[in-house]
Amino acid sequence: MTEDKIKNLLYEADQTAGGPVPLSSNLAAAVRRRASRRQTANLALRVAAAAVILFAIGIWSFNVKKTRDRQRIVALEMQIKELKTQTDATLNLIREVLDEERKQRRLNELQAQLASYSDPLEEIQKQADKTAFFLVYQANRMYRELDQKDSAIKAYKRVIELFPQSRWAEVARQRLSEIQKNQHDNSKGDLI
Amino acid sequence: MTKTLDYEFLVEKFSRGDETAFDRIVEGCSADIAVLANRLLGWPGDVEDIVQDVFLAAFLGLKKFRCECSLKTWLFTITINKCRSYRYKQMLYLRFFSKAAAKASATGTCNEGKAQMDDETFQEIRHAVQALPLKYREPVVLRYLQELSMEETARILSISKNALQVRLSRARERLRQDLTELIGQ
Repeated sequence: MTEDKIKNLLYEADQTAGGPVPLSSNLAAAVRRRASRRQTANLALRVAAAAVILFAIGIWSFNVKKTRDRQRIVALEMQIKELKTQTDATLNLIREVLDEERKQRRLNELQAQLASYSDPLEEIQKQADKTAFFLVYQANRMYRELDQKDSAIKAYKRVIELFPQSRWAEVARQRLSEIQKNQHDNSKGDLI
Repeated sequence: MTKTLDYEFLVEKFSRGDETAFDRIVEGCSADIAVLANRLLGWPGDVEDIVQDVFLAAFLGLKKFRCECSLKTWLFTITINKCRSYRYKQMLYLRFFSKAAAKASATGTCNEGKAQMDDETFQEIRHAVQALPLKYREPVVLRYLQELSMEETARILSISKNALQVRLSRARERLRQDLTELIGQ
């Protein structure tokens, strides 16, 4: 079978099959409508894709911002904690220093107060001396002004008994000896 | 030559935004596109969807057409591609719904059967063409039925002239094998 024969057979077979169904008269309009629809769909798809991308970017940036904010907050919290710790430590130190100062002041006050007090032994000595003096004075008055010799002797003896080491005990002893001497002299005179 | 020039002018007009030029292109080329699609798809008759797809692709891409070849060659290339994807979709459809589709296609082909002996013979020839692999069927349709030149056919199929000759030769061989018995009768 030659090429031409095959060609002829094919041609005849094609002819007997009949042509395609006649196309609609408004084919161009239909194509334009489809093109318009497709362009609209493409545009809508692009807009939707852009919207999705923008939305995704928005969410992403929001998350990033949120994460950054959270990190910043965590960092700030850490700083605040550190500052608080430092402040607490400083306050404790200040408190300790103030306590120390207060104690020192109190100690100084007490020391000053202590320094202001006189020696109690000395004071007792003074009081004892005063009392002895007062007793001797009373005894002198009783002997010389009131002429109560017995009471005066009792008072002198009491001074000697109570304050034997004081100088007024010595005075009382002198007075007693004087009184005894006077009594002796007076008894001698009476006898004479 | 005049027609080619005319189409170039129409393409230029369309590129400038004159959509009536597209109407004229459709008027001038739709019949040829329909015939080619009809032959490539195995003479199903109704090829309006394919033709619409071809012109839709042309409408969307015409502004990028640089007139390096004739408009018809360009449209034929689109038609070839559309028919390939159409057949591929059909094949997928057959895979999914094999039984129902096989029945449908069987009835479809039977409808075209005719009582007369000649018609049956020609139908067998058409079946033989349909049974050819795509790479042989396309050159046969373009070269023998559309009667395009070797250069044009090679250009549309994006192959060299030698490759086209080889394919045509092999296609003829296959047809010869399939049709010997039939022709012998």
